[in-house]
Amino acid sequence: MDSQVESAFWYSFISGDKNAFSAFFKMHYTMLYSYGLKISQKPCLTEDCLQDFFIYLYENRKSFANVKSPKAYIITSFRRALLTKLKKELQFLDYDILVESIPSFEFSPEDIAIKQEFSSIRANTLSQLLNELSPREREAIYLKYYSELKITEISSVMNISYQSVLNTIQKAFLKLRKEVENEVILNVLKD
Amino acid sequence: MKKDSKPNIEKFLNDESFRNWAKESNQNDMAFWNNWINQNPSQIDDIYTVKAMILGITFRSKPVSGKKVNDQLDIVLNHISKTESKKTETKDNSLKKNFQKITSIAAVGLLFLFIGLNLYNSSKEIVHKTAYGEIIDLKLPDGTNVVLNGNSEIRYNKAEPRNVTLQGEGYFKVKSMLSTKAKFWVNTDDLTVEVYGTEFNVSTREDKTNVILDEGSIQLLLKTGISKKMVPGEFVSFSNENNIISHEKVNKDLSYSSWKEGTYIFNNTTLEDVMKHIEYTYGLTSEFINDELKQKTISGGVPNENIDICLSAIQKSTGIKIVKENTKLLIYH
Repeated sequence: MDSQVESAFWYSFISGDKNAFSAFFKMHYTMLYSYGLKISQKPCLTEDCLQDFFIYLYENRKSFANVKSPKAYIITSFRRALLTKLKKELQFLDYDILVESIPSFEFSPEDIAIKQEFSSIRANTLSQLLNELSPREREAIYLKYYSELKITEISSVMNISYQSVLNTIQKAFLKLRKEVENEVILNVLKD
Repeated sequence: MKKDSKPNIEKFLNDESFRNWAKESNQNDMAFWNNWINQNPSQIDDIYTVKAMILGITFRSKPVSGKKVNDQLDIVLNHISKTESKKTETKDNSLKKNFQKITSIAAVGLLFLFIGLNLYNSSKEIVHKTAYGEIIDLKLPDGTNVVLNGNSEIRYNKAEPRNVTLQGEGYFKVKSMLSTKAKFWVNTDDLTVEVYGTEFNVSTREDKTNVILDEGSIQLLLKTGISKKMVPGEFVSFSNENNIISHEKVNKDLSYSSWKEGTYIFNNTTLEDVMKHIEYTYGLTSEFINDELKQKTISGGVPNENIDICLSAIQKSTGIKIVKENTKLLIYH
């Protein structure tokens, strides 16, 4: 998504244009829904939360005039709303414990495109390897390559420092690379 | 950076020439970096990790059907326009009802008030809403304290913080304005509470409004047009729907407003009523497997801020069993 087009919609939406709001909704619904589903694994809860979230966005639009990156802002804000809802649903006493322990970001072979720049292994092997990473690493990878956020934006979404985001992604790819290499060698030996 | 002997990951990532090498998109850059790698074999692990990061992982977007997106958008837009029209509707209603009731002098004052109210559009409206089980402590711009119980909502116009509309339950400690004798209003579907400065509890659960006065004096303007004065220690319950009113003295030792301190205090309260409290504050439903349990009574305090603690306290004090299944509570022997 062209970020300038996006900002243009965002600013006409916060000045009260309902059509711009609808356009913004359509632009981001799929991305937020997929992201929410990866966190909660609950379609109904995600859908409800997303409805409430967009209503909240509309009703409080005046207060978003200073938002620099609309996309990162809505992801951050939706993530918080969803986790809060999830905390209530699961009767968790502590938000941080919940964030640490949600079994989120499991990948399935269908999540992975057939053609990969990074590796030649099959989608189901790659999804398996991804699932062996820590949830935090998986989320960072998802935000970077699916939601196409910048490192600074991921750092505000996940509420960790710029350097930790970078380290997290780097560590994840180091592991992935080794695993992919092993996988390739195994395949060669099998043949 | 090309001359740097110890480049870090970030420098590789942000180097355009390096990115070209990773993507194999520029012959010159490829030649340069292939050569560089040969001369810096110790960097090879970092180099290939950064290459993998640049190429990244290509995810397939699981499509949400266009129909679903449109349906969801309709739900959201409907909700938005409903709340917008509701706001103007209640303003119109209270305008009419209040006109019938007041003397000409007060009417002039109120006229200005409501003209002012209608001039302000919905964006000037402030809303505080609590989730199930959440209790919040609010201070309104005029200095009035409001403790809002779970699953409740209070709204007011920014220009008029002393005229609020309540859904759910709230405890009000109204700051009196001695100099101007400005009143404070709490509007519900059934009535309006009119005060100068005092402490009272308003709850609008179950299609009726309950008001309990702790301190000071207040006047209730029922939607039927009747007005009622209350003195401390009194309890009034009124439903506009079936026009039932009850006006009685409450046991002063028993704090009906104790929920705001995080405790429900029950005094020979039937389990049926207790479960109703819990349904409203936590958004759950309850079902009695053994009907006779409904009439069992509870006396004493029950913590209400955490549903699990609340339920186990009730179970311990009554010997009954409560099982939670999703959003349903099953009550049995």
